[in-house]
Amino acid sequence: MPEQPENRIARIVEDLLHGRRLRLRAGDAEEKEAIIAAARLAAARSGPQRMSPAFRRRLAQILDSAPREPRLTRRAALVAGLGVAAGALAGGIVGRELASSPAPLPLSASSPVVPRNGRWTDVGALADFSEGQGKLVRAGAVGAFVFRRGETVTAVSSMCSHLPCELWWESGSSLLECPCHPVSFTYDGKPSSPSYTLPDLNEVKARVTAAGRVEVLGT
Amino acid sequence: MTLDPRSPNDSAASSEDSGEVVELPNATRATDIALDELELVYAFIYARVGNRADAEDLTQQVAMKAIPRLRQGAPASAIRGYLFATARSVLGAFWSTRLGLSQAELHEDLAMAVPQGPPSDESAERARRILAGLSDNYRRVLELRFLHGYSLKEVAAEMRSTVGAVKVMQLRALRAAAKVDPDA
Repeated sequence: MPEQPENRIARIVEDLLHGRRLRLRAGDAEEKEAIIAAARLAAARSGPQRMSPAFRRRLAQILDSAPREPRLTRRAALVAGLGVAAGALAGGIVGRELASSPAPLPLSASSPVVPRNGRWTDVGALADFSEGQGKLVRAGAVGAFVFRRGETVTAVSSMCSHLPCELWWESGSSLLECPCHPVSFTYDGKPSSPSYTLPDLNEVKARVTAAGRVEVLGT
Repeated sequence: MTLDPRSPNDSAASSEDSGEVVELPNATRATDIALDELELVYAFIYARVGNRADAEDLTQQVAMKAIPRLRQGAPASAIRGYLFATARSVLGAFWSTRLGLSQAELHEDLAMAVPQGPPSDESAERARRILAGLSDNYRRVLELRFLHGYSLKEVAAEMRSTVGAVKVMQLRALRAAAKVDPDA
């Protein structure tokens, strides 16, 4: 049962007023104006902000240690294409930086992506999905990796639960890899490394119809 | 390295007027200049996401994207312009991915002017103008929540209402706030 919009917004406002990270999901898009307005009002409450000394030092370390001639890797190109090249030009640096200063994130339980007025979208025949292999699909505004297990399917969001970067399926390791920081997720959305704690990926609703078609709940 | 940033007017902005190329004598100097510019970027981003953790992540993304440009000793005006163009792109990606929208669907006003000085209370002034454009009840509920930090229960008591009704009013007030043009 989708949460009532006033309750959902009340939770988001509560997070903002307590200085917590914005934890949004695809279904929140319908209230995007209200959420953006809330974020701006929360910022106004705390006045003009400066970087904390610790964060400024961290940035200085990143700037000082970046390679002189960064090269754009395929991975970086993918990220740059999304316009969110978090460290893409020096991916290793980001990895080291984040790994060496694992600021604890507020963990939240994975919650299913259930868009209000969502609809089931056909994303292909079951036969098109290989056993145990992640396949990226789109259901309107919802991106998901679908996994086939016999005659059933499961799906998780294609977005990393931390930085706004789209994951990709690494068939060699059978993991979903994030291009923006050194983490990966298993098919069921669990972070694969215990040393870098992150929330699980959001579950996306998926099903197989009687006609053998795979459908994903999207927008 | 100093942790107390110099005024951007001391370094970048003064060169901006003349279009002079900033010579970077050494890496530390370049880093200091970059950090001063990123201080403005951080304030710009914070004013739009409203929390420190996300503002730090996004500022770090901007810094990483900008490293090659910062290293080239480009004109200060170009550095600042590039940083803010990058910040707008990163913010757009943040909202679109968090909300599951394409950037074409996202009508957030990111085309803000590039700040020319240290962080100001621009966002507070904009908030005041937004609140002034609301009806009494909507303005009251948002003032109590966002400016005075009242809980929902406290707002309900203050407005002689129920928590459920205040939640609905808060949502409607935020929807209305999003429609107010603070620059009108």
